[in-house]
Parts: sequence; C-alpha cells; structure tokens
Amino acid sequence: MSLSSSEVVIMVKTRTILLYLVAVIVALVPLIPLGLLFALAFSEHPIHIKGFTLANFEFLKTGVLFPNDPRYSKLYPNVYTSAMNTLLLALGNMLFVTLISSMAGYVISRYSFRGRSALLGTFLVIHGVPASVLLIALYYILKVTGLLNTLLGVVLAKIAVDLPLGVWVLKGFYDGIPWDTEIAALVDGAGRFGAFFRVMLPLVLPGVFSIALFSFLSGWGEFVFIYTFIQTSTNWTMSMLIQSLHTSEMGALNLALIAALSVFYLIPVLVLFVFGEKYLVKVTIGGVKG
Amino acid sequence: MQVSRELSKMLIITVMLTPAVLVALLFLAVPAALTILISLTELDYRFKWIWCSLNNYARLLTDPTTRLVVQATIIYVTGTLAFNTLWGLCLALLSTHVHDALGTFMRAAWLLPRVLPSVLWAMLMTWIFSPLDTGLLNSLIISMGWQPVPWTFRYYWPFLFIVNGFIGSSLSAIVFSSAIKSIPPDYIIAAKVDGASSFVIIRQIILPMIKWHIAFFVAYNTLSLLASFEYILLTLNGGPGYYTTEVMVLRAYHLAFGQYMVAMDFGYAATYVTILLVVGLVLSIVYWRVFRLRRLMIEPKLE
Repeated sequence: MSLSSSEVVIMVKTRTILLYLVAVIVALVPLIPLGLLFALAFSEHPIHIKGFTLANFEFLKTGVLFPNDPRYSKLYPNVYTSAMNTLLLALGNMLFVTLISSMAGYVISRYSFRGRSALLGTFLVIHGVPASVLLIALYYILKVTGLLNTLLGVVLAKIAVDLPLGVWVLKGFYDGIPWDTEIAALVDGAGRFGAFFRVMLPLVLPGVFSIALFSFLSGWGEFVFIYTFIQTSTNWTMSMLIQSLHTSEMGALNLALIAALSVFYLIPVLVLFVFGEKYLVKVTIGGVKG
Repeated sequence: MQVSRELSKMLIITVMLTPAVLVALLFLAVPAALTILISLTELDYRFKWIWCSLNNYARLLTDPTTRLVVQATIIYVTGTLAFNTLWGLCLALLSTHVHDALGTFMRAAWLLPRVLPSVLWAMLMTWIFSPLDTGLLNSLIISMGWQPVPWTFRYYWPFLFIVNGFIGSSLSAIVFSSAIKSIPPDYIIAAKVDGASSFVIIRQIILPMIKWHIAFFVAYNTLSLLASFEYILLTLNGGPGYYTTEVMVLRAYHLAFGQYMVAMDFGYAATYVTILLVVGLVLSIVYWRVFRLRRLMIEPKLE
C-alpha cells in the first residue's frame, strides 16, 4: 500500500500535534500538586477544596496559629519566630558555603599541591553519599561541643553537607576561564589576591550566583537536621513547624490552615525558582560533570 | 625572589583552602571515623563509651529484622532507580523532540519537586494518596460514588517510587537531555534521509550515544539512594505494618533517634551506617575505575 503525499503530510501533522499534546500534559503534571496546595490554602472548608476565603491566613496578623485556643497555641512557636529561624539558617548556609567554596574552588583549579587529588576525590565521594548518614556522629559532636539544640550547630552541619558540591561546581567554572585572562592581570601588576578578587571572581559570578541560590534553598528547606538536633520549639524552622502540625491531631482537622502556612513558607522558594531556574540547572549539571 | 614566590604561593593556598579543609575535616571526616568507632561500643543515652568489640555486628547477623531491612533497601533502591532512569529518559527524549521553548519549560517544571522543601512535597503526596476518606484522590473517588482505595496501605512501594522518583527524574532528565543535545545533528539528519523512523533513530543512534551518561547516572544515583531516607521518614516512616519500608538508614535513624529514651541505641545504629559507609566506599572505588574520573582531576598546567 502506498500513501499519497497529502496523506503523508496529514499523518506527520497528526503525529506532531499528538507529540505536543503529550508534552504539554507531561510538563503540567508536577504543577498539579502545587495548584492543589494553593487551592486548599484559600479553601473555606478545613479539609476539602471548596470556595475562596482569606481566613486561613489570619495567622499573618499576630503569628499565633490558634488564637481561639490559647492552651493549644502554647504548644507551637510564633510563626514569625520560625520564619526568622528559617531565614537565618538559609542565609548563614548561603554566606558560608558561597564564600568558602569560591576560595577553595579557585585554589584547586589553579594550583597544584600535595593532597590536591585526595581532597577533590574526598569531596566527590562525600557529595555522592549524602552526609545525612553521619547524623549519629554529628549528634555526638554537637552534644560534646554544647551546640546541640542551637541553630548554630545546624548551620555548621549544613555547611559541611553542601560544601563539596559548591567546591566542585565552582572549580568547574574557574577551569573554564582561560589562563591568559589571569596572566594579563598579573602582567598588569596585580598580585595573585588582586587578580582573584578583581578579575577571576567577577568572571565566575554566574557560578557564585548558582551556588548561593542552591545553598539558600537547601538551608531554607532543611528538615532532618532540625528534627534531630533541635528540641526547643522556639528554635524550630518552618519545615519543623509544618511537619509537627501535620502529624498532630489538631493539624489533621485543619489541613487548610497548614496549606496556608505552607504557601507562606513557599513564596520565597517560588520567587527564587522562577528567577533563578537557569542557574539551578547549572548546579545540577555541574555537580555531575565536575 | 624564588623563595618569596614559593612563600606567597603557600600563603595563598593556606588562606584560601583552610576553611574548606577545616569544615570537611570537622564535620565530614571526623564524623565518619567516629561512626566506625561508635559501632564498636554500647554507646546509649548515658553517652558512656563501653567497648564491646564486634558484638554489634554479631547482633546484626542474628537479628531477625535484618533480613527485612536489607530486603526493603534492595527494593527501594532498585525500584526508585528504575523509575528515575526510565522516566528521566522519557522526559529527556520528549523535551528534545518538541520546540526548544516547550522542552525547557518542561524540564524546569519537573525541577520544581526537587526545589520544594522536602516537608511540603511529602505532605502534598501524603494528602493526595492518603488511604483515609479525606485524602484528595479518595474524596474524588467517593464523590463519584465508588469505593475508596487504601492507596499507601496497599501500594506502598509504588507510592514511594513516585514520591522519590518525581524528584530524582528531574536530575536524570537534565543530564540526559544535555547529552542528547550534544549529539551532532548530522547523524540524525542522515538517518532521516535514509528513511529511519523516530523509534529506530532513538534506539539505534540516540541511546547508544548516551549510554555512558545513563551508566554514570545509575552509578551515581545508586550511591545517593542507598543513603537516602528523608522522604520515607516524612511519609510512611517504615510502615505500614512491620518494617515494610524500613530501609537500612531509616532503621539506623530509628534505633538512634526513635521517640523514646530506650531508642538511643547509638552503638547498634552506627553498625548499620558503618556497613553503608563501606559499601559506599567500595562502590566509589569501582566507579572511579570504570568512569576514569581521574581525568576530572588533571593537575593545572600553569601556576
């Protein structure tokens, strides 16, 4: 059976349309849970999605979750306290991971010294095996140093976990800058430190930005370290507050309230994601390619 | 002159590298060594070091739960790995066969579950697939007049594959699609001129050309899955029932940080982690050889 050319054209067109239809549906799938979360946050019914109201966001006024039930309210910290802790963890993680890895990445990219391969290899292996397996030992160390139940202890552990990826990604970015650029700066009379700060660092700014974004989001979403190392509820972050509500009796009856709280927690993530998505992709690829 | 140059080089290396080395040493190397030491003790809530040689390892071998835990680990790692790789491949092929704008949007959308805080993703998935009548899928089913389905009670493994796989496949999709894009278009055009169908092109040209990327992803993902437990902890927490989804790291977590003081069995918990560390190290060395990672570490030519 032979097809006429017009039949072939129709067949190809149908297949293309089908392909695009499937692609659009697949692209929308991960957005569905998010849409449901927003719908629930503005829902009039505490468990089902129904109607539209702003009542679930009442907590934004005072930060108190159950103003009508003071006894129950006492079990949970003020929402703004948790939000502040979350911000501190995210900013602390971002600042230190970015600073430390942009220096280490430069040295590893440009200098040869004893132990360089060993150091890089260690960072690669550790990056592959999530450091959360070290929780028991970390717990012990934090306990001995008196950092258990403090936000500082969590920040330190978090920096260590995110650092290997940062070093690898930034090393890759420094590797991509030709030596001539740096030599030109040195010939012009800049010292190595001067060349680093004034020539190299500005050139790897996209890389620095990617790592900053990644480590901020990583600190913002952290749960296991908080859950394990923090007991006092005033030191909780938003993730811990939401999880604790979700698993409590009161929370199961107030799903819409938890959804509203989640939306509040999620807004910075979504904003950063929309504006920085292409930088995050760089971290994903860089982390694997090295 | 020569001496001062050497000196300034040493200074730069020291100043710029010390923070990274210090953090890695104090919070990664020391804890790894400490874990192995703790596994040789009966360390518990009193935090006393009572050495017990290899007793914990003997206990592990005779413990009836060990078999269940190892079994759960194997199912979890292979299942999630299969989901991540196959679905990631589908996403990569789909997103490179449509217009670039749609493809980019698609990969970005699939990156979203990875960017969401773990607690929120776990909560959303638990709510959607809740076995209770209040779960989203079940309330839809009930409103249509059908019987509710005990989703996570009955289909707990597929549930975990989806929860983890939505996150893992975004990574594989990005890696695979950038590999597909780097295939010279001449090959595909030549095949098309010869009359090859899309299916043949994918099987005979695209897949063979990205097989190393796939192998690397599988290798790399195996390591991270062996040590991952956060989403199980947040959703099914080892249940439903008796150790059905209790993987090795989760077992260690429960032994160490379960709800009651009796749970603080750090010595025995560290035994599980030590075994995982050894497995991880062996796998890393194998991968090192297979993927010739040494070339990533070529010494810089100038200084």
